[in-house]
Order: sequence, then structure tokens, then C-alpha cells
Amino acid sequence: MAAEAGRRRRRRFTWGRARRATQAVSLLAFFLLFLGAARQAVAPKWLDLSFRLDPLAMLAQAIASRRLLASSALALVTLVASVLLGRAWCGWVCPLGTLLDVFTPRRRNSPPADGLEPWRAAKYLLLLAMLVAAAFGSLTLLILDPLTLVFRALASSLWPALDQIITALERAAYTVEFLRPPVAWLEGVLRPGIFPIDPVHASAGFAVFLLLAGIVGLNWLAPRWWCRALCPLGGLLGLVSKAAIVRRHVDPACSGCAACARRCPTGTIRPDRGFASDPAECSVCMDCVDVCAMDVNGFHAARPKPAWEAYDPSRRQALTAIGAAVLGVGLLSSDPRRDHTPPYRLRPPGVVDADFLQTCIRCAACVRACPTAALNPALTDSGWEGVWSPVLIPRLGYCDYSCNACGQVCPVQAIPALSLEVKRQQVIGAAYIDQDRCIAWADHIDCIVCEEMCPVPEKAITLETVSIPRPDGVEVGVKLPHVDRLRCIGCGICEYKCPVPGEAAIRVFTSASTLF
Amino acid sequence: MRPITRRSFLRLLVASLGSAATGRLLAACNLAPQPEAGLPLATSGPAAIALPTPAMPLPPTDTPSEAAPTPAGIPDLAVARGGDDPASLVERALAALGGMARFVPAGANVLIKPNICVAYHSYEYAATTNPWVVGALVRLALDAGARRVCVLDYPFGGSPDEAYARSGIQEQVLAAGGEMLSLSRLQFLPTDIPEGLDLRTADIHEQALQSDVIISVPIAKTHGLARLTLGMKNLMGLILDRQAIHRNMGQRLADLTSRLRPALTVIDAVRILTANGPTGGNLDDVLKLDTVIASPDIVAADAYASTLFGLQPSDLEYVVAGAAMGLGRSDLGSLRIEEIPVGG
Repeated sequence: MAAEAGRRRRRRFTWGRARRATQAVSLLAFFLLFLGAARQAVAPKWLDLSFRLDPLAMLAQAIASRRLLASSALALVTLVASVLLGRAWCGWVCPLGTLLDVFTPRRRNSPPADGLEPWRAAKYLLLLAMLVAAAFGSLTLLILDPLTLVFRALASSLWPALDQIITALERAAYTVEFLRPPVAWLEGVLRPGIFPIDPVHASAGFAVFLLLAGIVGLNWLAPRWWCRALCPLGGLLGLVSKAAIVRRHVDPACSGCAACARRCPTGTIRPDRGFASDPAECSVCMDCVDVCAMDVNGFHAARPKPAWEAYDPSRRQALTAIGAAVLGVGLLSSDPRRDHTPPYRLRPPGVVDADFLQTCIRCAACVRACPTAALNPALTDSGWEGVWSPVLIPRLGYCDYSCNACGQVCPVQAIPALSLEVKRQQVIGAAYIDQDRCIAWADHIDCIVCEEMCPVPEKAITLETVSIPRPDGVEVGVKLPHVDRLRCIGCGICEYKCPVPGEAAIRVFTSASTLF
Repeated sequence: MRPITRRSFLRLLVASLGSAATGRLLAACNLAPQPEAGLPLATSGPAAIALPTPAMPLPPTDTPSEAAPTPAGIPDLAVARGGDDPASLVERALAALGGMARFVPAGANVLIKPNICVAYHSYEYAATTNPWVVGALVRLALDAGARRVCVLDYPFGGSPDEAYARSGIQEQVLAAGGEMLSLSRLQFLPTDIPEGLDLRTADIHEQALQSDVIISVPIAKTHGLARLTLGMKNLMGLILDRQAIHRNMGQRLADLTSRLRPALTVIDAVRILTANGPTGGNLDDVLKLDTVIASPDIVAADAYASTLFGLQPSDLEYVVAGAAMGLGRSDLGSLRIEEIPVGG
């Protein structure tokens, strides 16, 4: 009879179905915005929608940069929704939450993991540390924001990896005559809109992927363990949700079957508390309503009575988090790479290095938008503070003279939105020739590739024809390249195309604009 | 959604791996019966060009101009000058050469290769071929009965689709009924160059290998190593590894030309770029000459174009190498050249 009832219920409307549909639509929208960020298939004002909806990134960014962006007001929508509905964002919208639902171990009816309960405080402590660090100008911890985390993993690890896999399969199929037309058709669909034409490489791909994989792996401790314990955005929305107006209510008619407690993905329905739940932990997935045979589970508007739970942070923990954040910022700032600019650390065009790390939310939107894959999330190129902030690596890609995408897609104007004319004059760095390795200088053989590639209207690389005696005594005329640093914009196409294997014989150094 | 069972997942995996393996097997079967099994499959593309088996000595390959000797009364090279309409310059020059039908047989698969080397500037900057010159050639080829007219280039700066659009070439080609080929690296197939003296293999775009007719449509401009980039240098856009050509460039360009053998070369000198080539970007370096040079002889066309810059044909290494290989003639004095004044 129970099975019959279940079958009947399956045909009816269930909250679970509505939620999964909403999750799918929202994940799809997130993904489409990711796809659209390349080649600006979607108008820039829409592209950063997902980040502007993220109150954590917007709040931390505003604190650290001391700058309030009008566009970030959209994050208030998420905050207000959480005041009304609790952490519905987590259950219904968040792309990482949806991924965690998809990659959930089969055995969902896990017993409440009591040993893990104290960990619930961690997300608030992380949030606190993040905001305190932001007050000291550091946004490093935003690498743990769920939206930047998923977007970055897509842009700088999953997408390049998928590109490699697809290319390998296509290459294999292309050797077969009759498979060529369909493969060619597929290539036309994929490139250059979805994948670039030239192969791309992601310098931080593996590390970025490991973080996401680790978070998914935590699901095997308990479902959505990341959301329960660690997610700093969940912490922020949880705090707000403690005062949520619409909250879960259990009717006294409850038979105590505990089906809801077994189903609850965040483990917040506690049999020992009369099956009540903590609105700061509840993701409003409504599974409890679906699963309740007695229909005693419900969500109703109520006068909020915020309550501090046993597992919520103590004053001592909060002070420790603040202290750790302050010390952490101090340690990060004492890294020499922060103030003593490393020789090859280049930033996207137009970036003012001094306040970049206080403004950049590490979302990797620019990495996705860069058509040549020149922009990569840094590892420790600018010290640990700058982990996964974008750097331009000319050997992997050059700053395209006909592109200004990175500034257009940056959700927080850390990279200024420059017109193409202005961007073309931005000095990213300065090229220097290694005369010991340059084919022309060292081996007296004409090459000129750097000069040919230089996109500046009056070329910043010029050729001087010099008569040089070779070892055998024969005089040869050789075209020696010179860089005019007054004209060089540091776009790096010379370094990218330099035919010398390994390290290029012409390299772009951190801008020396004060010298010229 | 019903969860995927392990069994169905494995089934899918085996099926996909199996089909990939079958693909490889079929490819191997494809190769086996061919006499030139030592050559990559890709080189077996165009039947028009006979590939020598390794045992045989190289047969002399006829250039299109040798295959169809210039009819009496028709010049070796036509130069149209004047007026504001690049399209009419092309039409007049082609008419003087006996019409497009001489080069494009009915039903032919035609590849037009303009110079769209960067995505940086519009055509006024003379870094890319004049769009109306390309458009006129597409139209003439279609009027001559071509089955298909494709236009492609692989820019070195910026992406192809942006370069196609910004150069203005895409608009004119599509308006004329041609096709802009979107680019994929898969399409570059390792190909032998049997007559090459220095460059013996290159990854060449399959469209260049499959086409019945190739038309090289460069814009005349300066280049640091080649001095000028013209018809032969323009063919570099059809191969993948351009770095390889930068060594011994004159000879290697001639080698590449020997494999591709454009039936017609039309040099766009409506505007020429006199400095800071090939990328350009400075209008002060642009000179408006309103000139179009056309010839079935790519060496002759390049040789003639050198004079626009005050150079001698012998100043261009690839012209010298091309003439030495018998790809064409560079002795301007003995060529029949028809100068056609057009408009005001």
C-alpha cells in the first residue's frame, strides 16, 4: 500500500521535481554564461550576472577595494531572498550545490554524522576570516567562494582538458575518410565559439581541479558536507537565514517516523529535537515535505526567532578566526613577491598592479574570455596572496591586438573596461631580447619572426642589417632585431611566436614604464 | 532522471572505445592497398597531381601555364590601373588575360587565397587584401561556372573569424556568393613536396590539396625577411608551421609554390603598405596606387610587383628561386605585359 501511495505521489507535483528543474535551469544558465564569455557571444552586461548575484564576493570586494560598485547591488536580491526564504539559494540555485547533489553517493540515507556536527561552525569562521582579511585588503580567501570556484575550474581546468580529449578523438576520427565530413561539421560547431582554434594550455589546471574534486569528495563524508560545514557563502546566507521569515514547521501530529531526518541532505532535521531544524542549515530543498507520509512537514511564514545553536561558533572561536585572518594577511603581505614584482609577472591589459589583488575576486571570467589563453590563474607568481589571480603568460598565448575582452567581462572592473583603441596603448610589459639565444644575434641566421609579429603600427621591434663574419670567415649580412621600449606595449606575441625552443629568446618583463 | 547503472555505463564505454578502435582499423585498411603506402594518407588527395612512387624518378610536373600555353595575342601579365573601383580593375585585367574561364573550368572547385594575416585593421590599412578585389574574383569564378568558390586564410594575429570580418573580405565574398571557410587545425594534412629542393614536407590545408584551381590574391606590402609579401609568400597562409619557412625563406617559398601551383595570381596594389608590414596599422605607410596585377605566372606577377616598391625582381629571393625552379619567369623585359588604363 505504501508502494502504491508512492507511485501515486510520483505522478503528482512534488517539490523535489520543481527544485531539480530549477537547479537544472540555473546550472544551465551558469554554464551558458560561461560559454558566452568566450568571444563575447553574450553581451558583457549579462556575462557577469552569476557573480553579481553572489553577495559574498560583492561584499568582500567592496570592503577590500573600498569601492562600491552600483552593479553589485544585484547581490541584494540574493540576500533579500534569503531573509524571506532562508538558504533557498543553496538548495535551488547554487551551481556548486547542484553539482554536489549530482555527485552524491548512492546511499543517501546516511545516519546523522554526529562527529561532523561541530564542523558546522567552520563556515562562519571562514566567512569571518574572509571579511576581516578583506578589511585588510586581502581577497585571497575568495578562491573558496562557490561561484568563483566552479567558474574557475570550468575555465582553467575542465575546459582545456575537454578540449584536449575532443581534439584527440577528432584527430583519430579524421584519419578515416568517411568520418571526415561529420568531424569537420563538428569542428565548425565547436570552433572558435566553444573551443579555440589553436590548442590552449592551462598553467594552474590541475591545482584548480583538485580543489573542486576535493569538495565533491567531501560528499562521501556526508551529503553536501561542503555546504554544511565549509561554504563561506553558505555561512553568509545562513546567518541571514537565521532570521528567515518562511521557515520549516513540524505539526504536532508528527508520528516520529524520522523519514524526513533520514532524507534531509544537510542533516539538520534532528529527531532528538522533535524533528525541528535550523534555518541556517536548511537548504529549503523541501524533500522533507515530499517524504512526509503524515503531511506534517511544512514551510510557513513565521515571526523569526533567531537562535544560536550549540555547534555555532563560540566567541573564542570567532576571536581566533579574526586573529588567524589578521596574522594570515600579515604573512601573505610579507611575501617578497607581493611588493618586489617578479620579473615575468604580467597582468591583464590596463590593470594597475598596486591595487589589483584588492579588487580581483579570482573568478577567472577573464581567463575564459581570453581568446588566446594568454591569461591563466596564477599559482604563486605573485606570492600566495595572489593565488589564482590572472596573469598573462606570453609563452602560452599573446594579448591579441584586436581584443579587449578581459576588461569587458570582469565583473568588478579589476581589469578596466577599455575601448579597443585605448587597450591597444596599454603597456603590459616590455620585451627584451636574449642576445645569447636569439637566432640572429647568436647564430647569425636571419629569423625576424618577432619583428614580423609586432602589431604596433610603428613597429616596436626594428631590424638592423649588420655585416658579421661567420666562424668560417665569410661576411654575412644579418638582420638583428632591436626592441624600442618606448613603443613596445608588451603584448607578448613576439615571445609567443619566437621559434627558439623552450624559453623564448625574446621575453616580456614586468613593465618598466617608469624607466621610459 | 534514471541513474545510469554500472552495466550501461560500461556498455557505453566499450561501444565508444570499440568504435574508436574500429576507426583506426579502417584507416589502416584504407592505407594498405595503396602503392605509395609509405606516404601519409593525406597526400593522396588531389588526383590532378601525380605523386611519384619512391622507385621512380621524378616526372616533370607541368605548371598550369605550361599545360595551357598562353594563346597568341594574350599577354603573359596584365596590369590595370586607375579609377576608384577595384572590382573593375580585376575585371579588366582578367579580360585582358582571356577571361576567367581560361583558368576556371566549368564545375571546378576553386580556392581563393587572399592575405588576411591579422585581425587588427580594416582594409584601408593595407595589411589585408582589398575586399572588392576578392569579391570580384569570387563572382568571376562563379560566372565562369565554378561549382564551389572557397576563401580562406589562417591569420597569425587574432582569430580567423574576426580577421575575416574586420578585413571586410567576408562581407564581399558572401555577397558574391562565395564561401568563407572556418578554420580547424585538423584540416592541415602532412603533405610531401616532391619537387621541393629544401622544404620536402609541410602541413597543407586540405582545401588547397583538393581544389582544382587555386587563386593567390595577395596585397602588396613590405616584410622584414622577404622584403615584400606577394603571390608566393601569400601561400604561407595555407600551411600550419610558418616558422619552418623562415629559414632559407626564398627557396622554401618556391618549394611550397611548386606543390600548390596557383593557376592565377592577382596582386592587389589598390593600396600598398610601404613600411611596418606585414601587420601595418599606420595610414602614413599606405600608398594608394589603384593597381591590380594579374598573371597565370606567379613568378612574373611577383617580379612585376617588386617594381612598385622601386625594387628589382632579383631583390626578392623567392622570385629568383622560383625562376630557377622553372615555376615562372622573372625577366620582365621579355614578358608580354599589357598595361590597361581604367577610368579617370
